[in-house]
Amino acid sequence: MAVTDGSPLLSVSDLRVGFATERGLVRAVDGVSFDLAAGRTLGIVGESGSGKSVTAKTIMNLLPSYARVEGSVTFDGRDVRALASSGARHFWGVEMTMVFQDPMTSLNPVKKVGEQIAESLRVHLKRSRKEARDEAGDLLEQVGIPEPRKRLTQYPHELSGGLRQRVVIAMALACSPRLLIADEPTTALDVTVQKHILDLLDGLREERGMAMILITHDLGVVRGRADDIMVMYAGRTMEQADTDTLFSEMRHPYTEALLETIPRIDMPSHSRLVPIPGRPPDVIEVSTGCPFAPRCRSCTDVCLTERPTLDEQGHGHVCACHGPVGTDVGAMARSANEASGVTPAGLDMAAFGSAGVEAGDGS
Amino acid sequence: MAGSGTVQLRDDADVLLRVENLVMEFPVGRHQVVHAVSDVSFDVRRGETLGIVGESGCGKSTTARALVQLPRPTSGRVILDPGSDLEIDMTTLSGSSLRQVRPRMQMIFQDPISSLNPRRRVRDIVGEGLVIWQDDKGGSSTRARVDEVLNAVGIEPEVAADRRPHEFSGGQCQRISIARAVAIEPEILICDEPVSALDVSVQAQILNILEDMKARYGLTLVFISHDLSVVRNVSDRVVVMYLGKICEIGGADTLYLEPAHPYTRVLLASAPEPAATVDPSDAAIGDEIPSPINPPSGCRFRTRCPRAADRCASEEPQMRAVGDDHFVACHFPTLA
Amino acid sequence: MADRLDLGESAGGNDPLHVPVVEGYPMAALDTTLGRRLGAGFWVSVGWLVVIVTVAALAPWLPIADPNETGYGGRMDRPGWATWFGTDTNGRDMFSRTIWGARVSLTVGFVAIAAGLAIGGTLGLIAGYFRGTADRVISFAFFALLSFPGLVFALLIIAALGSSLKVVCMTLGVLSIAPVGRLARAATLVFAEREFVQASRVLGATHTRIMLRELLPNVLIPMSALALLGMAVTIVAEGALAYLGLSVSDGFSWGKMILLGSAPRTLRDGPWVVMFPIGAMFLTVLALNYAGDRLRQYLDVRELAF
Repeated sequence: MAVTDGSPLLSVSDLRVGFATERGLVRAVDGVSFDLAAGRTLGIVGESGSGKSVTAKTIMNLLPSYARVEGSVTFDGRDVRALASSGARHFWGVEMTMVFQDPMTSLNPVKKVGEQIAESLRVHLKRSRKEARDEAGDLLEQVGIPEPRKRLTQYPHELSGGLRQRVVIAMALACSPRLLIADEPTTALDVTVQKHILDLLDGLREERGMAMILITHDLGVVRGRADDIMVMYAGRTMEQADTDTLFSEMRHPYTEALLETIPRIDMPSHSRLVPIPGRPPDVIEVSTGCPFAPRCRSCTDVCLTERPTLDEQGHGHVCACHGPVGTDVGAMARSANEASGVTPAGLDMAAFGSAGVEAGDGS
Repeated sequence: MAGSGTVQLRDDADVLLRVENLVMEFPVGRHQVVHAVSDVSFDVRRGETLGIVGESGCGKSTTARALVQLPRPTSGRVILDPGSDLEIDMTTLSGSSLRQVRPRMQMIFQDPISSLNPRRRVRDIVGEGLVIWQDDKGGSSTRARVDEVLNAVGIEPEVAADRRPHEFSGGQCQRISIARAVAIEPEILICDEPVSALDVSVQAQILNILEDMKARYGLTLVFISHDLSVVRNVSDRVVVMYLGKICEIGGADTLYLEPAHPYTRVLLASAPEPAATVDPSDAAIGDEIPSPINPPSGCRFRTRCPRAADRCASEEPQMRAVGDDHFVACHFPTLA
Repeated sequence: MADRLDLGESAGGNDPLHVPVVEGYPMAALDTTLGRRLGAGFWVSVGWLVVIVTVAALAPWLPIADPNETGYGGRMDRPGWATWFGTDTNGRDMFSRTIWGARVSLTVGFVAIAAGLAIGGTLGLIAGYFRGTADRVISFAFFALLSFPGLVFALLIIAALGSSLKVVCMTLGVLSIAPVGRLARAATLVFAEREFVQASRVLGATHTRIMLRELLPNVLIPMSALALLGMAVTIVAEGALAYLGLSVSDGFSWGKMILLGSAPRTLRDGPWVVMFPIGAMFLTVLALNYAGDRLRQYLDVRELAF
């Protein structure tokens, strides 16, 4: 690949995306930065409203025109946003592509699978009809579809959900992209199929030396698959580290809470889960301080007033928190909250033991 | 797998709900039938949580709806208080006598927004069952009960009761649904994928509320989910279903520690972080789930099963015991 | 507002742009910027309708001429200070007549569509909720009504029963049953699938209670948009009947005024005699159509049977 070691393939710097609405400015992404080298996988983990999908769509130039975008996105040294305004044709879908959650959104229901894959080859790579058709068959074989030649003449509705997602991946790979963004690629699929699709994506990435961004709400999905993980909340990066470090030296209380709140399959029956009280924030409100503070066990007074910066915690490990987990400051903040029974944000600490009354009903 | 049989049914006085040979079929097109649920039998003891787990199309949600007779099953029996003098087979009840029994069994649905009428206020939604069944139509005792159950699910009645559903988040809507269901003091609460539409940070809240409600109101739970981790967490006993048939029944921890059915192993190995008790390679099966219109002969799992043999195509496996309260429908269980 | 929840998407959690997510995200807010507004035109239309309905309702008490008083002005006076809309061939005040004509036209429009709503709405609700045999029978009846040529039907009825206000209202009311009923059925089908209806059945609610408490309030919303459009259609239909000489015998509507004013000589010498009722009808029908259409878009009604 064209990228030499050291310079990242994709570089996102201080990205901010806002949408003007009647209720105010929605800050969907609020200062996100990361680098991604060729051949590596970045996992972006977050809930709805965390800004993870908007980040991906900004990179893919898929935002509606009324979105306000600031910050820079460079791909292989080229300014992606400048490319967008110059109307570059053979960039998105060729050098970088995206796989969505629901395969049917990417497939045309009235066109045969083979034609849909061939179309992109003919438009972008100027293949002849026959060449494109042959290549489409090869691609279906690569993504593990049985009887690929037969599938070319089928319509999307004739395929199962897992096969459809494989077709979408084949389409995404048609022009040999250097970056593949997969946005919750398995959430809509059956459990027994999810693992296959994730393994397929991982294998293809390795084989082709692609870079990959894997977006998910489930830390378990990226564990063991991503090289680096970025945890997002309310449009901001909460914590970012290489995968091993993130799980072994978890710093952000949100990351910790996410891990503790999900039942894992090796937990005995009726293990009490540690809930995260409250609900995800409304990104319309201009929040001072840390967006997670109202739901955080380690919340301090300063968390309510001062926005934490992304601080280096170790080699390449950054975390935006005033009292990170595993530090003296963090431990003191938590024990102080446990002693007083209520956090400075007004959250009853008992909420972590029980279902928890939600602070402030309605929106 | 995908077997029939009734050896797994327990015969004691504690059994509150027994489902016998439940069949649910839907006609599609001309002369075709979807075999959504085929000869399924299980029971639930008073105070127990029964988990039903399986992929889409396994018939778990259809089973849940058949329990509340919406729609009525094609055949089979759904019995309350089996063996006692008060035994009631819900499938035989006529319209009005079925209505009289309905308050005993309530249901929570997957989609929290769709579960609540957008045109009604929270107080009316939660109090609906009380208004239907009590003489005090919306009077002070109804109000008191609505306030009580709203408090129990962590919704402040003063703030919330006069609002409409769209003002609430998904997690809050699911709390309101739970409040509506428990308000009329049901014995059985059927939860159909109650957390799969919710954000991860909210799921534990709802799961904990369900546990609290169970303890507080002495409920018996039937919990349906595609997520084995969630099912293991909430259940005492688990039913694994595939393509309208039961594969395996056993204690929640037993199924995890000693899975006997190849399909249970697949599920355990397919979790994002696979269970330590199975080999990750167990997840390697085909993607194609056969059509319920024309299910495979013999064992319905055989087309994807790594252990399938000729016998699996010709002969349907029957449920049999492989341990203490542990039953499997497989000719070649992974546990003798 | 997150009514249009998409389960597949929300399970994973997504961002504002993509899906109306479950956990209280700003989809609702985004929606409003994307054209879910009634707009100024809607309120201007509603304003006109309020004015015309008010003056029509208050006509007997307004300080205006008796509409039937011949020789109130001269024969075919031009519009001016004395008679704002001029006078007709019999010297009757056109301003007063336009207002009185509104009474009949609006009554016909309102009563006919109200009857359509009551009968068609009930049948549609029953068909959509119970499905099965009830649906097949009712839907067939709707198809039969729609297939019968409306004008011929009206001609037959009025020829048989005479053209009193009651008969005209009833005739047009019958004609509006099928379109209204089909919309009610379609809307009911959508809501009957929703889980709150199932929840209500599980609670033990009777069918009647479910239809009245759970479904009707939801179905009424798209119906209100249809009611406005339906009134417009009915007012025009009454005008058409009037032109065929089949309008109300006891009183006069805008349609009858147009018929009277459209004799060739009257049209040449006093075009205002026909222009004012036409203008009033045009503005009213326009306002009803526009308001109904905006409302339909605002409420996102998909199937409209007209």
